[in-house]
Amino acid sequence: MSEHKYEKFTEKEEAVVEGIDISGIWNRMYEPRELTEYDLTYMDKVTETPGAESMGWCYQCAQCVGVCPVDHVGSYGPRKLFRKLQTGTNLFESDDLWLCTTCMNCLRVCPKEVDMMKIMPAVREQVVLEGTLPGELQEMLQNVSEYGNPMGESPRKRVRWTKDLEQPPRDLSKEDGSESVEVLWYVSDYYAYHGRGQDAARALTRVFNRLEVDFGILGTLEKCDGDSQRLVGETGLFEELAQHNDEQFQKYKHGTLVVTDPHAFNAFKNHYPKVTGNEYRVVHYTQYLSNRLKELKPLLVKPYEKKLTFHDPCYLGRHNGEYQAPRDLVVAIPGAEFMEMYRCREQSYCCGGGGGGMWLDGVSADHTRERLSENRVREAVEIGAEVLVVCCPYEVSRFEDAVKSTDNEGKLEVRDIAEILDYCMDGV
Amino acid sequence: MPENPVLVIGGGPAGLEAARGVADLGYHVKLVEKAERLGGMPILADYAALTPNMVNAEEAMGEMVQRIENDELIDIRTSTEVIRASGSAPALEIGLNGPGGEEDIQTGGVIVATGFQHFDPGKETQMYGYYEFDDVITLVDTERMLKAGKFVRPSTGEAPKQVCFIQCVGSRDRQIGNPWCSKVCCGIATKEAIEIRQLIPDCRVFIFYIDMRMYGFWEDEIYWKAQEKYKVNFIRGIVTEITKRGDQVVVKGEDTTMGRPVEVPMDVVILSIGMEPSEGTKKMGELFQLPSTHGFIESIGGALNTVVTSVPGIFVAGAAAGPADLEDSVSMGGAAAMKAAAFLRKANLRVA
Repeated sequence: MSEHKYEKFTEKEEAVVEGIDISGIWNRMYEPRELTEYDLTYMDKVTETPGAESMGWCYQCAQCVGVCPVDHVGSYGPRKLFRKLQTGTNLFESDDLWLCTTCMNCLRVCPKEVDMMKIMPAVREQVVLEGTLPGELQEMLQNVSEYGNPMGESPRKRVRWTKDLEQPPRDLSKEDGSESVEVLWYVSDYYAYHGRGQDAARALTRVFNRLEVDFGILGTLEKCDGDSQRLVGETGLFEELAQHNDEQFQKYKHGTLVVTDPHAFNAFKNHYPKVTGNEYRVVHYTQYLSNRLKELKPLLVKPYEKKLTFHDPCYLGRHNGEYQAPRDLVVAIPGAEFMEMYRCREQSYCCGGGGGGMWLDGVSADHTRERLSENRVREAVEIGAEVLVVCCPYEVSRFEDAVKSTDNEGKLEVRDIAEILDYCMDGV
Repeated sequence: MPENPVLVIGGGPAGLEAARGVADLGYHVKLVEKAERLGGMPILADYAALTPNMVNAEEAMGEMVQRIENDELIDIRTSTEVIRASGSAPALEIGLNGPGGEEDIQTGGVIVATGFQHFDPGKETQMYGYYEFDDVITLVDTERMLKAGKFVRPSTGEAPKQVCFIQCVGSRDRQIGNPWCSKVCCGIATKEAIEIRQLIPDCRVFIFYIDMRMYGFWEDEIYWKAQEKYKVNFIRGIVTEITKRGDQVVVKGEDTTMGRPVEVPMDVVILSIGMEPSEGTKKMGELFQLPSTHGFIESIGGALNTVVTSVPGIFVAGAAAGPADLEDSVSMGGAAAMKAAAFLRKANLRVA
């Protein structure tokens, strides 16, 4: 449509009035182009919400839109959100509230420190309290609340992935906590329940075993870390989960808390202490393994002769500043050729799963031409990578779906770092 | 034999600081001001609070005046104009016209600090209807109301609910003949916006701008403060014209970051009028045969010597040399004082 024609209109696909069919274009209603008022009701409501004050600070430099992953596939960005609020959009009822993945790329470049990582949960919390959140999200929250995981799986099945292991991990939930463990491994939902996550969980178990790590898992006592629930505005649920998991961390004495999920890492490191008053010696599994690279390297005997690229998880990289540990592991893989994507490290693109995005594909689909994960997969293919290496449990499933939907099956595989390390240790 | 005094023309911020500086350096000053009282535009135009620090204009200017009032080296002549000049510095013959009639004096050097005048929005092509609509006013009209502690819709006398500023009125405009940026209007409009929000918390305030020019510390001390603390709304895209609809004025333009036309009713529209050379500045330029840029007196030293003119012994300070904020004006006043004193001293050494 040419630019000087009216852009916005509503149109009912099927409409019959007094027996006359006026479907489609015949009932099209154009929205006026003129802005006839600056209704600041909702801007005020947002900036008066504790935590969301900085929404009003934007001076339209537009640096955020340049790096917002959502704007690359649709029209959205903090700068644009500010203007929409200033021109009367009710963010509390708008899909725009659910497009942000809290990837933090905007805050990284924002001169005014407009902080979507605080704004989004604060505003979403109001909507969650009203109960008017998207259905898909509601279902997820209900699952977490009832079963302790977003899939709605039985908590008893949380350890099912360990069944076929020759040497399954020590299950602390079967103990009384009197015997301490060196590494308490927080497995996380997607490792525990998702088919491809389970592959990685088993792989990591074998890697730990070969490194002779003294480690244990919380088994059925482990519950969702709650970080994504916090970011979609379910503060109450987050605090409940924090209390629960903290009780286990306190009960089962350990040297280091190793997590597989960067979202859990973020929660334990930055947000649990505010709820529980306790600090945690938490590291991501890529950090744990890269710290033991000397012992690890000699075990990597079987070459993995592929072109690899690595996707930085937003919550490990931008949120917590860890870019090197996973790369140390990737470059240690024998026979592999490592190549960076154009958008990497601080500038990394987002998989779309963070900030609740994992459960908002329905809402996003209405506003984006492709998924963020699809955009990312295209980039990996474009640079000629054969394997997209990940280290966040959200990502294997997201990217594998994207590989299929972008017709790249057979061109690109998605592998957790743990899976590749395990492969290279084969026979050790 | 005592040297001839330095003649400071203009008793505003630049002139007051120049006079004080010359006296502090031990030379005589004759301070000539056309108006009845000293203080310059902040006083004559009833400014409420000075930008950026928001100090009371009466008090701040009063302090500047007080510092020189009892200085025996300074001879203050208010209601007095410079009408003649001949000869050359350090022995210039100057004719004054004041309450006691005409008088001829000799001066060693001159500091021209004759300032600016506010752009008259009637000179505009009348797109904003300043003389047509009661509720279209200027920054200066607003200062006057703020000084009285009350901001109202002129048409009703009631507190407005929605107010906007239009930036760059009479500035940056080739058609009007004023291609310069007036430097201070962004800051002053934003300062006034804060004051309106303080006085009437439920009044929405908008500033329509081309680009906000908030130099140095004005950025966070005024601009960010207005946006973040006082919730002033900055809308990019200048208003094109104003029409009347019912009892409100409607601003029409484009909201450029939305890419949509704007037709929004306002209770009060404030025109952020810029600076033009004052009549005094133009007259003194002619009298002392000083080259000018856009009617402002030209300093020939560029960025590294802001007060020297092409005529020996004659210096310029403040907005007489071009749009200037208070910081610039006062700094130039000090610099001009130092240059004028140095000029006299060197001239004396040569004589001796």
